Amino acid sequence: MTETVRIRLRPMGADIEARRGTPLQDILFAYGVEFPCGGHGRCKGCRVRVLEGSLPVTPAQERMLSPAEREAGWRLSCQCRADGDLTLELAQWEAQILADTSSFAFSPANGFGIAVDIGSTTLVAQLLDLTRGEVLAVRSALNTQARFGADIMSRVAYAMEPGGHAKLVSVLRTQVGKMVSELLEASPVPASPLTDIVLVGNSVMHHLFCALDVSPFSHYPFESGTLAQKDFTARELGWETPGNPRVRFLPCIGGFVGSDILAGIFATGLHESSDPLVLVDLGTNGEIVVGNRDRIICASTAAGPAFEGARIYMGMRAATGAVSAVSVEEGMLVCHVLGNVPPRGICGSGLVDAVASALELGRIKPGGRFVDGAPSLMLCPPVKISQTDIRELQLAKGAIAAGIRLLIREFGISRDDVARVLLAGAFGNYVDTGSARRIGLLPFASDQIHPSGNTALLGAKMALFIPPDRLDTLARSIQHVSLSELEGFQDTYVEEMLFPDPSDLADHSAP
Amino acid sequence: MEDLKKLYDAILTGNFKSAKEITQQALAAGADPQAMVQQYMIPAMDEVGRRYEANEYFVPELLISARAMKASLEFIRPLLIASGAEPAGRVVIGTVKGDLHDIGKNLVAAMLEGAGFEVIDLGVDVSPEKFITALNEKKAGLVAMSALLTTTMNSMKTTVEAMKAAGVRNNVKIMIGGAPVTEKYAEEIGADGYSTNANGAVALARKLVAA
Repeated sequence: MTETVRIRLRPMGADIEARRGTPLQDILFAYGVEFPCGGHGRCKGCRVRVLEGSLPVTPAQERMLSPAEREAGWRLSCQCRADGDLTLELAQWEAQILADTSSFAFSPANGFGIAVDIGSTTLVAQLLDLTRGEVLAVRSALNTQARFGADIMSRVAYAMEPGGHAKLVSVLRTQVGKMVSELLEASPVPASPLTDIVLVGNSVMHHLFCALDVSPFSHYPFESGTLAQKDFTARELGWETPGNPRVRFLPCIGGFVGSDILAGIFATGLHESSDPLVLVDLGTNGEIVVGNRDRIICASTAAGPAFEGARIYMGMRAATGAVSAVSVEEGMLVCHVLGNVPPRGICGSGLVDAVASALELGRIKPGGRFVDGAPSLMLCPPVKISQTDIRELQLAKGAIAAGIRLLIREFGISRDDVARVLLAGAFGNYVDTGSARRIGLLPFASDQIHPSGNTALLGAKMALFIPPDRLDTLARSIQHVSLSELEGFQDTYVEEMLFPDPSDLADHSAP
Repeated sequence: MEDLKKLYDAILTGNFKSAKEITQQALAAGADPQAMVQQYMIPAMDEVGRRYEANEYFVPELLISARAMKASLEFIRPLLIASGAEPAGRVVIGTVKGDLHDIGKNLVAAMLEGAGFEVIDLGVDVSPEKFITALNEKKAGLVAMSALLTTTMNSMKTTVEAMKAAGVRNNVKIMIGGAPVTEKYAEEIGADGYSTNANGAVALARKLVAA
C-alpha cells in the first residue's frame, strides 16, 4: 500500500496528494473549507459528497445526516480521514471577500503602506503607494483561525483552553505576515521604503493579534480594559519585512466593537456629518453606529449565522450553485443561481429575498408561519426554505432591527431623522435592500439606504495618511452601549422578530 | 362552563384583554379557581408549547400567550394561595454567572408558570451563592439554569459544585438548558436533565418532580 493518496476536489478541480490517514479537515482547510462548529461533527457546514472512492459513516454522521443524504454520498469531512483515493464535491468552496476600490481624498505622504482588514472569517490586505494613493496589490484569504471555531465566541472559548491563546496569536500573526510578504512580492517596492502597516478588526481580533487576554470577552459585561491602539515593529511580530516597518492595530471602541467599525466611521465621514447617520455592519455579530459630528454611539448584537447561510436547512455560502436572489414575476418565484449551474443550496441574500418574495405572495404570515402550514416552500428544485429557516432568519433580523431601533431611540431621534443608512461588510453589500426592507431587517425608506462597500479596509487605508494618534482620539469619543441593558430590550427584540405589515411599509415606501 | 373555553382560546391566541375579563367574570360568577387552572389554563399553555415545538408558534406568539396567561393568573393566584393549593412544584430559575442572555430563560419560566409551577426568577448573571440562598429560602425542589455561550456554560458546573459544597444538592433536582448545552454536558456536570426548548423543559420539570 502506498503512503500517499490522491484527493480530487470538485467543482474547483484541485488535485491533491496527501499522506494516507490525514484528517480531511487538515487537507480541506487549506482549500478554504470552513468548519463552522470547529470540526466537532455538530453542524453540516463542512459536508462533502463522495463522487469516487469511499468514506465510512461514523456515529456522529449518522446523527447529522439523513439516510437520503448518506445514500447520496454526503459525509461530514471533519469526521473523516483520507484512507484511500477520493473525488469529493465540496458543499462550500468560495468565500465572499470584499475588497475596496473606492477613491478617497488624501494628502500625499512618502513611501508605501499596507492596510489590512482582519475579519473573523476573511482577511483582505492592500499595498498602497502613499505618494499617489494608488493600490498596487491586493491579497485576500480566509482567516486560518477559523479551523479553531467559526465565530468569535468559539475563538474566545478556544483561547481559554490550555495553549489555545498562543496558538491563535501565532496563526494570525503568521498569516498576516505572509500576506504582507506576498503583497511585496506581487509588486516589489523599490528604493522607497515600506513605512507603515495599519490593521483593523473587531475587538477579539485586535486582542488576539496583540496577544492580549481575551477572557473579558467570555462573560458579562464583555468589557476589556485593553482597547487602545497597539504599535509593533515588524520584527517584534517575527516578520522579516524589509525596512522593519511600524505595524499599528487601530484601537477598539468598546465591547466587541473594534477598529473595523472605527475605520468605517472614519471612511464614511460619519464623525464629520451634520446630519445623523447610521452605519450597520451585518454579520454573525452585527454592529450598529448612530451619530454625527457632535456625538456617536454604537453597539453590537449577536445575530447568529443565518445571513451567512449557516444553520439554514439548504444553506451555503454565496458560491457556485447557490440561489443568491429570488424575485416575484407574474405571481411566481424566480430564482437566480450563481455560476449558471443547477441550484444546490441557498445563501444569505437568497434567503432574505425568498422570504421577502413569499411575504409578497402572501405565502408567509406576519408571524413567520407558512400560510398553508406546510413544512417548507419549494423555490427551485431541489432548493427549498423550511419553516425552521424562517425562524432562524426572524431571530437574526430581529436582533439587528431591534439594535437599530434601540440605538436610534438612545440617540434621541426617530428613524425619519436619519439622513443615510450606510451598509458595511459583505452581506450588506450583496443583500437586496428592497428585500431587507420587506422583511423588516432595515426599517428605512429605500432612498435612505446606501451600500458602502468595505468601509473597514477603506478607513484603514485612509489611516495611513493621518497622524497615528488621531483615530485613538476618535475612538475614545465614541460611546459604546450595551443593548441588552437598555429598557425594553426584550420587548423590542421580540416585536422585531415579526415581519412588518405591508401597510407599515407604505408610509416609508419609495420603490 | 362553556364560557371558560373562551379562557382557553384567549390564552392560546394571546388575547391579554379578553383573558383578564373572562377570568374576572368567571371568578365573580363563582368558578373554582383550581379547576380554571387545571382544566383550561394549563391545557392552553400545553397547546402553546406543542405549537411552539411544532414550529407553528414562535417566540413572539409564545410570549404573547404567556402574557395573557399571566394576566389571568394575577387574579387567580391569591385565591389559590388562600385556599392552600400547592403548585405543581417550585422552581428557582436564572442565567448563570457571566451570562446575560435571558430570552430563552424567560420562555422557560413562562412555560413553567403556565404549567402550574411556582417560578422564582432570579434574573441574569446569577451567582452560585444567590441560587443556593433562593433554594433554601423558597424550599424549591427544582433549579433551572441557562447559559447561551460556550464561554459561560462552565458557570453551570461551578454552581452545581457550590450546591454540593453547601449541602443542598441532594434536596433539589437540577435542569439545564441553552444553545451550547448537550445531554453529555448535563451528565458531565451532574445535572438531572436538560432540554433543548421551552416546551421540553416543562415535560422535564414534570418528570423530575414526579421522580
